[in-house]
Amino acid sequence: MRKTLTLLVASTALSAGLGLPAWSAPRAPATEDSRPFAALFASDQDTTALFLVSGDDDDDRGSRNASRSDDDEDDDEEDDDCEDGGCNSAGNPAPAGSVAPPQNGLFGTGAPPKVQVN
Amino acid sequence: MKSLLAALAMTTALTLPAIAMARPVTLTTTLTNYGGDGAYLALYVTDPTGAYAGSLWMAGGKSKYYKHMTDWYRATGGDPAQVDGITGASVGAGRTLDITLDLADALFDAGYTLHIDGAVENMRESPNEVAVPLTTAGAGIPVTGRRYVADFTYDM
Repeated sequence: MRKTLTLLVASTALSAGLGLPAWSAPRAPATEDSRPFAALFASDQDTTALFLVSGDDDDDRGSRNASRSDDDEDDDEEDDDCEDGGCNSAGNPAPAGSVAPPQNGLFGTGAPPKVQVN
Repeated sequence: MKSLLAALAMTTALTLPAIAMARPVTLTTTLTNYGGDGAYLALYVTDPTGAYAGSLWMAGGKSKYYKHMTDWYRATGGDPAQVDGITGASVGAGRTLDITLDLADALFDAGYTLHIDGAVENMRESPNEVAVPLTTAGAGIPVTGRRYVADFTYDM
């Protein structure tokens, strides 16, 4: 009985010991292995939004100058609207501290980065 | 009892390396007085084969400008998800950006290289502004950038 108990404790402890790193390891390359479809989908959405916004800005500057003299101001207003949250989720990344760093295998833990500008 | 002790010792030995897999690393980037607007900087890592491994920091929050960090953009397609949670403001000329990250030990002395791409509005793009191998021996040694980065250091 005692031997069985010892074996059970040892096997449980071994599983925990091996399981922790093993559990951490798949989380590291998760962006490459287990999330290809999500990443691809997100990438497509963002890329489309990026090119459309950027392309419009650039093209409008040249083509609408005759009819609208304040195109640059309009562009800036659109940018500000996006910053306020309207299209933030579609195009811009989440700022540091608002979500955990990406699980790309470079970060040891999910600890938020500390940043300072002098 | 002896078996139990042996099992406990073994599990402790197996668990400790898992805990000690990361270390805090401070990345310090000082910009030159280039006389322009705030610089967008992409800090990212390539593996020993030169392939993109992941991003460490993005200075600059508007993804529509990410295409100007050409090497990073080529590797990521400008995917903002790559820098979710590791994005801050652009950095002004002459300013110093200090970032402390909890980085995996596996990045050091294993052939990984840290790169910085830079871009400033109405000024030239500067891909691969800095490229520095991540080694324990290289910690604390300043590296000079090509255009906008006066020097870059990583400390552990």
